Amino acid sequence: MSRSIFLSLLTYGLLLTGIATVKGEFIALALPLVTYLIVGYLQAPEKIDLEATRHLSLERTSPHSNVDVTVTVTNRGSSLEEILLLDILPVGLTVRSGFSRHQLRLATGQSYTFGYTVSGPRGGYVFESLELKVNDHLAVSSSRVRVEAKGRLFVLPPVTRVRNIAIRPRRTRVYAGTISARAGGAGTDFFGVREYQPGDPPSAINWRASARYVDKLFANEFQQERVADVGIVLDGRLRTNEFARGHSLFEYSVQAAASLSDALLNQSNRVGLLIYASYLAWTFPGYGKIQRERILHALANAKTGESQVFSDLEHLPTRLFPPESQIVLVSPLSEDDLMPLIQLRAQGYEVIVVSPNPVKFELSYLPANETIQLAGRVIHMERVLLLQKMGRAGIHVLDWDVAEPFDLFVKRRLGRSPVWLRAIGR
Amino acid sequence: MTIVAMILSILLGTISLAIGYVQGGVAGYSLWFLLLAAVWLIAHFRKWYWLSSIALLIIILAAAFGVWQEYSTVWMLLGALGGLLGWDLSDFARRLSYAAPMDDTRNLERLHMERVGIVAVLGLGLALLSVFVHVQRLAFEVAVGLVLLAALGLTRLVIGLRKY
Repeated sequence: MSRSIFLSLLTYGLLLTGIATVKGEFIALALPLVTYLIVGYLQAPEKIDLEATRHLSLERTSPHSNVDVTVTVTNRGSSLEEILLLDILPVGLTVRSGFSRHQLRLATGQSYTFGYTVSGPRGGYVFESLELKVNDHLAVSSSRVRVEAKGRLFVLPPVTRVRNIAIRPRRTRVYAGTISARAGGAGTDFFGVREYQPGDPPSAINWRASARYVDKLFANEFQQERVADVGIVLDGRLRTNEFARGHSLFEYSVQAAASLSDALLNQSNRVGLLIYASYLAWTFPGYGKIQRERILHALANAKTGESQVFSDLEHLPTRLFPPESQIVLVSPLSEDDLMPLIQLRAQGYEVIVVSPNPVKFELSYLPANETIQLAGRVIHMERVLLLQKMGRAGIHVLDWDVAEPFDLFVKRRLGRSPVWLRAIGR
Repeated sequence: MTIVAMILSILLGTISLAIGYVQGGVAGYSLWFLLLAAVWLIAHFRKWYWLSSIALLIIILAAAFGVWQEYSTVWMLLGALGGLLGWDLSDFARRLSYAAPMDDTRNLERLHMERVGIVAVLGLGLALLSVFVHVQRLAFEVAVGLVLLAALGLTRLVIGLRKY
């Protein structure tokens, strides 16, 4: 019950008792209460007109980094005696220093600026408004208002720099890039020898082959290097990512997807991202830094989810990916993912699976007793068998122990030797 | 400042009632008022702020009962006023607890004390005036004005209740 109603009821109770009993003392008893109500109502704000602006020191940052939020509230209406101001924080962010709640008085035209520092885990955060409770000094009349003060903060996943990822899709695009196109032309990798044609540079002549013929010259042909279409599929299914005691592999998968997309875009490829969770979140393929931002924003908002339809990879929409392109699936994998991936291979896609190892991950935090070790060995064998089956189907599987830094792991397993090393045949 | 004023107000309210009841010959009740003061203060410091409304209700009912029993009206008035101020300051202290350390609470406290002082002086003055000044005959115009004022107040109450 509001304060004014409570006091009014007491006042009317006393007044009615006074009238009923014809005793003036009851009415005298009610007079302090009446005075209190009247003074309160006289000081009630006539017009509440507030404006607010928000400034964030950073709009994109890394997880758990500090971001300064500065808010300025200006009173455009009548003088406000008492304001309780609460800046509503998006769920997930925590205040590291400073305060998001203030008690103040704002005269007409006066401004109040306050600041605080927030941090949070990976995610996209939207600041909407401030909540203000405005009342007179006696709090007889009070009203709640919301003042819009928009702001957006993206806490992007960490991107570990990975260089020279070797992929070999069956089909490439026409633009020059770094992926061997299985066709002769300008490049760095030796492709074959053909008859010398006018216009070929003299340095391309293969003198050893030409020496065998009297009237013919032969030239070396190099493999063309072009860009390719790459579709990164991030598995966000709850059943493959979430484990007992609230542990999750999803953050590692997100980190892997971010690093891979960054590396593949740096190699000038056309990269798209599909997040396969409770629904499909598709980032249309593109090139360059803008596409990198789009993918990082999509990854910032990625969450695990569960749905009947997307419980397995059967419903992976292959139409989104150009035929015979490269697909990179980032998933801890489950037993029933084998057939859908074999079907992808059968459709002509080149498939790489980066699989954060769930067995080693779970064993890392479970107590090391005999039963758990035995169970771990059994599950490990099942997983090895699954990965072997995938390997036999032509799927390139990378079993990633998340204890190892992702960049080192990728360099070891997917690394492409630099041009000068390839030139000397290493 | 607010806390000290609140403690003094609560003590003023309860001790005034206790004295009024002692003067009325029912000393047994007086201890209950002192106990009420203790419970109220403990409740405030334990952040059971809802109890202050119950305490005010008890004090007003006790003052009304005292008036009904024709105990000293001045003590009953002081009791009701003390209760009212205690209730107000308890809520104000709660509101101030939401303030950040760098907020200018001193200024807010000063302004609040000014308003509360006006209420206390004006309320008590009017109440004492009504006790000691007896109007034998009331002009018709004044009576109509009072009725209109009462109707206005009732309307405000109804609007408030509907909002609630």
